[in-house]
Amino acid sequence: MNSEMEGMLDTYLFETNGLLDRLDEMLVDDEKKGDFSTDDINEIFRIMHTIKGSSAMMEFNSLSVIAHRIEDLFFFIRDKGIDFLGDQDKKDLFELMFKSEDYLRGEVEKVENGQPLDENIDHFQKVVDDFLARLKKDETQAEGGAPAADAKDGSSAPAPAADAKADVELPTDESATVFIHIFLEEGVGMENLRAFMIVNALKENGIVFNYYPKDMDTNAEEAKTIISKGFFLAFESLDQANTAEELLKSQPHIKNFEVIDAPKQEPPKPVEAPKPAEASKAAAPEEKKAAPKAAPAAKQPAAAPVSNGPVKQSLISVNLQKLDALNDLVGEIVITESMVTSSPALKELDQESLDKFMKSARQLRKLTDDLQDISMSLRMVSISGVFQKMNRIVRDMKTKLNKDVRLTIIGEDTEVDKTIVDSISDPIMHIVRNSMDHGIEATKEERIAAGKDPQGEIVLSATHTSSEVVISVKDDGYGMDPEKLLDKAEEKGILTKPREAYSKREALGLIMVPGFSTNKQVTEYSGRGVGMDVVRKNVESVGGIISIESEVGEGTTITMKIPLTLAIVDGMKISVGDSVFTIPISNIRQTFKIKDDSDIIRDESGNQMVEQMGEFYPIVRLDRFYNIKGNYEDMKDGILVWVEASDKQCCLYADDLIGSQQVVVKPMPSYLANFNLKEYGINGCTILGDGTISVILDVLGIYNAAIENA
Amino acid sequence: MADEILSQEQEIENSENAQTSGNLQRCLTFESNGLVMYMSTDYVIEIINDHNITPVPLVPSYVSGIINLRGQVVPVVDIRVLMDEEVKEYTSKTCIIILTIDGTTMGIIVDNVRQVVDIDLDDVHPIPVRQRKKLLTGMLNMSDGTVAMAFDCEALMNVQM
Repeated sequence: MNSEMEGMLDTYLFETNGLLDRLDEMLVDDEKKGDFSTDDINEIFRIMHTIKGSSAMMEFNSLSVIAHRIEDLFFFIRDKGIDFLGDQDKKDLFELMFKSEDYLRGEVEKVENGQPLDENIDHFQKVVDDFLARLKKDETQAEGGAPAADAKDGSSAPAPAADAKADVELPTDESATVFIHIFLEEGVGMENLRAFMIVNALKENGIVFNYYPKDMDTNAEEAKTIISKGFFLAFESLDQANTAEELLKSQPHIKNFEVIDAPKQEPPKPVEAPKPAEASKAAAPEEKKAAPKAAPAAKQPAAAPVSNGPVKQSLISVNLQKLDALNDLVGEIVITESMVTSSPALKELDQESLDKFMKSARQLRKLTDDLQDISMSLRMVSISGVFQKMNRIVRDMKTKLNKDVRLTIIGEDTEVDKTIVDSISDPIMHIVRNSMDHGIEATKEERIAAGKDPQGEIVLSATHTSSEVVISVKDDGYGMDPEKLLDKAEEKGILTKPREAYSKREALGLIMVPGFSTNKQVTEYSGRGVGMDVVRKNVESVGGIISIESEVGEGTTITMKIPLTLAIVDGMKISVGDSVFTIPISNIRQTFKIKDDSDIIRDESGNQMVEQMGEFYPIVRLDRFYNIKGNYEDMKDGILVWVEASDKQCCLYADDLIGSQQVVVKPMPSYLANFNLKEYGINGCTILGDGTISVILDVLGIYNAAIENA
Repeated sequence: MADEILSQEQEIENSENAQTSGNLQRCLTFESNGLVMYMSTDYVIEIINDHNITPVPLVPSYVSGIINLRGQVVPVVDIRVLMDEEVKEYTSKTCIIILTIDGTTMGIIVDNVRQVVDIDLDDVHPIPVRQRKKLLTGMLNMSDGTVAMAFDCEALMNVQM
């Protein structure tokens, strides 16, 4: 596959996946309402049309054929109006559409993985055809006798060219003197687009001509016309026609063509025009074949609303690496800018020049700030895509497990870094599945007996704090019993310390230990463990933490806290000895000095605390914590930084406050990951204006290491 | 210093025709702890000296800290400490060799960088004593009579102390 094809494939996959996502969204929404809206039917029709077209172009046969079938189906439904369908039909239609969507997705996935596509599509094709046939039977008047599926099946029943030749009807083109009548090879599929490609090839060679059917590029129904009657090129001069003739010999997929002189006759065009609309009462595809023999052009008005093709989006897809590079660069610009504006050389300037300089500098500052905001926002995508998928999963499992569950989604507009969205999609799906499968009670009766709403509920929520995204999945099902989990873990031999030593939190955490696999028994215990260790790994790989809370009989909440990576933060620089650390300003509540050592309160083991606004907070001496030689021994010489993270608060003791600066968070080099720095509150660094590096402190990490686990 | 190496490199290139036989590899030789060592130039990105190293708390003493290499944060390991467990003074000849090992960029501090030579891998002998840190994988006699040790960059990545 050459690079051009690869580019096309990328675009194809991106587009098709996007369309399928859109389809999924509509289906789930519509199913809730129990009905399709007219707009949605039109859109599904368009989506299928686009998938069919692009798949045929890429020669993915199974995709294009199935999409084609569904397109036909929706053409019919659109034509008849949705109210034509009975309730049962609608239900079946939803079922069918979800199945089709899954099938298409499966095939697209195969394309993504470079696997061969499904060769045997007859079965699925038949399912769709049967459904259409059933609908048609319902409405059949006289002409219903002809099996619809056969008649419209372009690729399997191409009209023999010889037959068509006998009654060649030339399109009407007054200016044309010569026509070329072209037949495509049988069964190539997507005849209208192939024909259009040939037309384009000729046009590229500078030949002037008209072609019929006019709307072959946009109206897929023309494929049938082209199969049965071929298509026409109309030339004004014989020379042009001859050149074209030569070129046609080298075009692919052409079965034969002939040159015909144009007869002199008046076109019956205006008379024919209303006919398609009128005829559309009959089963649509057949009518296409019969009606517009003489005036293909007349079909255009009828086809116009269909031909919008792909839904226009003003979006482009960009290589993520390029975005990263851009972000890095913008970060460097911000740093360099503050380097310039704080340059010592400025002191040499006289007051007037300095003022002028500062004025320009402020303007630059504003621009770089804007630039930074935009470049950061480029990577941010709404989490709704991931959440929407859960709708579908809950819907499917509801039917399968016969449980009545509603999914409540909160905060789906929350924007998250693209890499994070990618890495949390699977974990969320896993957790939701587990909640559906093991969390929610098996029967309504059970829920009623437990005094709960008969309908189970799963709440999926996302919120933003200043430094992290909190995503939680909450169900109101059985809840997990730590004792049973411990039993299970003991049986599996994965306990690492005496059973009694496990806290409740630790016991719940057992489900995320590798080896705590699930089986029937665990399902009974409402335990989970289907790859929860993988879930944890995924979350941790983006620097997140996952925690589980559960009360027996009340339900389970799984919370993922994921830091916003790549962030540019406002930082406060502090010094400890020779080292300069940066604390995110969002974590700082206040900085203060103590007047006297007597302000320090000590407990029996010498831990230090300080009172601030009526509350007592522990003190972490950074010099001792990090084993650095500080400048001062006496605490009243240094400063205290009162910090908070989540609900944890403490005071950090440092030598001096240096000042605030916006900094670009860079990850610590991977080599240093061996040393568990993260557990001690170091998981990033930044380059300061003078080119030196400052370590960024993670307040929560320090708190956990110094106080929680001390 | 870079110029120096460059000119040496040219010299070698000129004399290359003389020693075409064998399994040749272009290597950078350097000194540390009184040993002469070499490593394949495939690993070497550049050699810098006089760099401002930011110490990182809570890491073993052989990790000197991190440096800012044109916007990239690069960890620096002092192999002198790694081998001798004793912090050494920095002199004007001390320099940092920036390496890429398995896609990871890092720097090592050495006493002195010598030159780039072609080494015939067939001439390398195993080290006949048991080593504790396994940082050196072989030894050979150089043309000037000194003995050079093969420094194993991959092993550096896996050092645990």
